[in-house]
Amino acid sequence: MAYEITLLTTMAISVLFALSLNFISGFCGQISLGHAAFYGAGAYTSAMLAKAGAPFLLTLLPAGLVAGAIGLIVGFASLRVRHDFLAITTMGVGFLFIGLVRQQDVLGGELGISAIPSTGLGKIGFMAFAMGLAALFAGFCVYVKRSWMGFVYDSIADNEDVSEIIGIPVSRYKLIAFAIGTAVAGVAGGLYAHHVRFIAPDSFGFVESVTVLAMVIVGGIGSIWGVAFAAAFLSVLPLWFQPIDDFKILLYGALLFAMMRFSPGGLAGLVARLRGVS
Amino acid sequence: MSTLLDIQNVTVRFGGVTAVEDVSLRIGERELLGFIGPNGAGKTTLMRVITGMVRPQAGAVVFKGTDISTWPIHKRIRGGLALAQQIVQPLHAFTLLENVVLSAGGAKTGNPITALLSNARDDERAVALELLERTGIGAAADRYPGELPLGFLKRLEVSRALALKPDLLLLDEPLAGLNQAEAESLADLIAKLAAGGQAIMLIEHNIREVTRICPTLYVQDNGRALAHGPADEVMADPAVRRAYLGLEEAC
Amino acid sequence: MLYLELFIQGIIQGSIYALIALGLTLVYGLLRILHVAHAALFTLGGYLGVLVTNATGSLALAMLVAMVVCGVVGMGLYKFAYEPILGSPPFVPLIASIGLFIASEELFRMIFGPYGLSYAVPPLSGQVALFGTFSLRQAEVLVIVLSFAMIAILGWLSLKTRTGIAWRATVADPEIASSFGIDIQKVRYLNFFIGSALAASAGVLVAVLNNLVEPTMGSVPSYKALAIIVLGGLGSVPGTLAASVALGVIESFGTIYAGNFMDRDAIAFAFLILVLMARPQGLLGKA
Repeated sequence: MAYEITLLTTMAISVLFALSLNFISGFCGQISLGHAAFYGAGAYTSAMLAKAGAPFLLTLLPAGLVAGAIGLIVGFASLRVRHDFLAITTMGVGFLFIGLVRQQDVLGGELGISAIPSTGLGKIGFMAFAMGLAALFAGFCVYVKRSWMGFVYDSIADNEDVSEIIGIPVSRYKLIAFAIGTAVAGVAGGLYAHHVRFIAPDSFGFVESVTVLAMVIVGGIGSIWGVAFAAAFLSVLPLWFQPIDDFKILLYGALLFAMMRFSPGGLAGLVARLRGVS
Repeated sequence: MSTLLDIQNVTVRFGGVTAVEDVSLRIGERELLGFIGPNGAGKTTLMRVITGMVRPQAGAVVFKGTDISTWPIHKRIRGGLALAQQIVQPLHAFTLLENVVLSAGGAKTGNPITALLSNARDDERAVALELLERTGIGAAADRYPGELPLGFLKRLEVSRALALKPDLLLLDEPLAGLNQAEAESLADLIAKLAAGGQAIMLIEHNIREVTRICPTLYVQDNGRALAHGPADEVMADPAVRRAYLGLEEAC
Repeated sequence: MLYLELFIQGIIQGSIYALIALGLTLVYGLLRILHVAHAALFTLGGYLGVLVTNATGSLALAMLVAMVVCGVVGMGLYKFAYEPILGSPPFVPLIASIGLFIASEELFRMIFGPYGLSYAVPPLSGQVALFGTFSLRQAEVLVIVLSFAMIAILGWLSLKTRTGIAWRATVADPEIASSFGIDIQKVRYLNFFIGSALAASAGVLVAVLNNLVEPTMGSVPSYKALAIIVLGGLGSVPGTLAASVALGVIESFGTIYAGNFMDRDAIAFAFLILVLMARPQGLLGKA
């Protein structure tokens, strides 16, 4: 039973994390290759506060705020660059983040932070809490998608210049997407820190950024259910099939490539296509 | 007639090339101004200066009495300008109707918080449908831009600009790519809008339609103002005939 | 003396970066693809270099084999991985390429083992005295000489030969080039062949410098090379060369003077971000 609880908690955190990236890359069309940095910023904030004696729940809000604030700064920077330049800039932010964290003794340097206090919610309570947050954010995403805000995001993802010429303040919308997406990633990071109770710079590096991007893309960029499903599935796949663990990264790589090569719309695109055929 | 848009001594250079040189031009409220000139005269560039897509090296753009030279594009659009571009740029993920609906939703899209709290699209849909009917592409409302020929997309550009309910409508060659019947009917619509009080600046190569509907013409050549005045006088101006018609008699 | 040494070390690192980044920028110039998997050919080149040298005893032969094999593999990558998705939005080939790269690293690990390979007899390990007490390793001299020579020859070929002119015309404007009867497809294959061969040569050189090849030796160069071509202005060959050397030198000084604050990679990317904020189109890119 404990095993299943761990599994479900991992799933819920991954879903929240992937949906937060989907808000930026899927909704707003801004590809980010450094999203794990914000996950990490939240994780470190939450872990440090918890070590200092703050109760778990009170660490999540600062985790989100710190990540969101950094996200907003990156967002401002991202306004100056586009497409491929943006992808590489965000990748740079990711490397900068772990490069900085590694050298800070306050943050535990290379060794990271261990013995993060328990949440006090119990295993089942924590699982339910994580699932609740994931569900809440998924609900928010669905709401946004249907609102005029979602309509505007579709248009920005389609063509920024055209959106601007029909009077949409594109920069403002982009900044909001960055702020929300990175803040939620920070909260997910806070959950992660309290789930594994040990964090180190390597948990938030480029591989993690690509992994979460893989979830978004395999699910179908922009599709809330597709992304949630892919995140849940891909996050537990290696845990489920222990023998696969050795091939986990190969599988991720191959899956990413195959998805782009044969179905750039991801699972959601695949489902839509199959429906169209039948 | 009071001045709506006042372009003051605008100069634009791209690298070493001067695209627009010291151009000044006024457009009054309710005016329909035809803007002609040979290819490369800097017409589209001047249009882009007005909307803020190009920042001039010198000069100012004053709109409704306010200097908007430093405003970003979206703010100028919200301030009452609208542009139908020469090279069509539909949003490909949207149907024609959705393209226009989004444009008609200016009151909701201007502020992200309002946008987040707004859901209903019925009013905008009604406005958009009506506009698509007026531009003659209502039958294709639910089709996607990728499936439609250029003539439809040119009219989509116009519909989308109209949906912004602008004080000044900027049309950059809206008739190009339409057949004669389509061009005539769109020109009729432009004339009707103008008769209803809509101020319009119309860049067009189709001289026949421009002279038919525009009471006033402005001619630009090599980035410089060549003539500006009542259509018949301008067309009789020898300088205009030499620079423009001499080259393109066939029009 | 320290400054000079840091500077020379920067040039050496910069030459390696240049060899890798050139292929990347050539691909970008022609196809607008960020070809992350390019660094897999750098790794493959390194492995081939060690394996062939150990088998035959000839580093020159190993270099040749590595360059030709990787060139051909590069053409295959274009044919089977990129060509079918050329019309897609830019993130599609980018992600596909990242996927390929990650998978290839794992493949190297599975095929060649996780601990890497070394030369049986490390080539060029002697010292070359330059002036005073200042000396460099033979391998380091080779890196500088060879990369300068290869880049110079490539530059000369692109200016003087028919193929080079066709290639430059295609990069400048594919449509016009094809209307002049240039076979675009051939130019693309050539592009991938040359770019991949250069990356392979960098792999061989790095293997000689470190006397080690390992499955992950491509990761850092791969991301760093992306930073470099973006710095250079995406698709600009002179920009890429300038950015390579600049980054090599800045890292070399940065690790000494900012090392307690951030690591080498962070310095590179901090530099990248700073430059992009000031010049979003890169150092030598067109606005």
